[in-house]
Amino acid sequence: MITTVTLNPAIDREYFVSANIPKEHRFIYDEQDIRVYPGGKGLLTAIDLKNLGYPDVQNIGFVGGKQGLFFEKMVQEYKITTNYVYTDNEIRNNVFIIGKDPVTYTHYNDYTYKVDREDVEELVKRFRRGIVDSDFIIISGSIPEGVDFNIYQRLIEICNELGKEVYLQASGEALNLALSEKPKVVVPYFKHTRKILDEKVVEFADYVRMGRKLLERGAQYVILPYHCDRLLFAGDRVYSLSPVDFCLKNWLGTGDAYNAGFFDYVYRNGFDFVEANRYAGAAALNIAEHKTIFLNNRKEIEDNLGRIIIKELEV
Amino acid sequence: MSTVKKYMMRTLVSVCEDDILEDVIKVMYKSEMSVLPVVDSENKFLGTIYSKNILKNIIPEKFGFLDSKQLLYEINHAAENLSDIKGRKVSEYMSTKTMAVSEEDKMYKIADIMLDNKESILFVVNERGNLRGYISRADILYYLLAVAKEEETD
Repeated sequence: MITTVTLNPAIDREYFVSANIPKEHRFIYDEQDIRVYPGGKGLLTAIDLKNLGYPDVQNIGFVGGKQGLFFEKMVQEYKITTNYVYTDNEIRNNVFIIGKDPVTYTHYNDYTYKVDREDVEELVKRFRRGIVDSDFIIISGSIPEGVDFNIYQRLIEICNELGKEVYLQASGEALNLALSEKPKVVVPYFKHTRKILDEKVVEFADYVRMGRKLLERGAQYVILPYHCDRLLFAGDRVYSLSPVDFCLKNWLGTGDAYNAGFFDYVYRNGFDFVEANRYAGAAALNIAEHKTIFLNNRKEIEDNLGRIIIKELEV
Repeated sequence: MSTVKKYMMRTLVSVCEDDILEDVIKVMYKSEMSVLPVVDSENKFLGTIYSKNILKNIIPEKFGFLDSKQLLYEINHAAENLSDIKGRKVSEYMSTKTMAVSEEDKMYKIADIMLDNKESILFVVNERGNLRGYISRADILYYLLAVAKEEETD
């Protein structure tokens, strides 16, 4: 089994309108102009892995209220095993309004979800028994209000006790604290703050410095998003990963496809950090160049492998 | 031949033997399930806990046999009884006789088991006995609907 953890999932609702004009009343008659799907880092990776043929993929996290049950039903459609702690507060709803002419993209990101302390303790208990037969654990995404920043640290501590390897994609204080438990692979998420370990990252040298600092603080390997590239840190070695002839059509789902590609490679070939990243890059490239947000099969990844260039850097 | 894997609900919502009834009731309410699987610390299926078993322990008679004047008294009485036992452990109220089915079991076999046991839900385990989800009467009916459709087409 593969386990993904999504503590702050959301129902994503996309509305496509002819034009998004404030104060105007719009009617939507075509069902194709409304898309509702389960969202949240970790969950999309779980769906990708399921599509790649893994029979047992589990998603652990919180869901809340009646909308939480609806969310779970949507996830079940993908044959993902859900392991959710039900909370009193309703789950988040993210709203995207896409205007067609002129093209506009308006995003209302809902950060109102709160969980109670007893829910957190229940999640930790459920996590411990839920990962017993998991080979890999991927923990990613933000944490809802009510959850302490040491949550990822606690979950990784359990993984270490049970001998499970962790791939962590996190940001801010939750990431800072989790490093002490020495997760196998760390991918910092810093799109909103532009900060890693509380330090600004602007120039290339900042990225290299922070990648190394993440290793010093406990990460065994680091993957650092650098514009459209990735910087890979393994011991003293630093690599750059770049796509060739890259045509961006869609960001949504690229990071999740990257994670799924990485897992898929490691699961089938053993842990080769550089080659797993090449495969992961090819998976992300497939999503970035298409409108779909999910991976469908390995062939579409393998077709891109030749367009992923990895170079060792002298820095 | 269709297997359980195709129709089951894949959820690991569960409780442990040492959880208390108050928490179980909250999980039942929030998950909208009147029966929950009981597992050990390694997610192995041990049995089930039914809401009706908890009710039986707090209500002396069924509501249906009570007259309306007595009903309020009985509800208050039940609430008091529940207050007394809400801190008790699942192990005291769970049933260990419930059978689990396998992901690979054939659907027609499940229909037989459900009819024999009068269970509305059967929990599903993998080859190591770890909980994997459940299959309900509605899933069986949905399966039978598909079978009937196939026969009509033939």
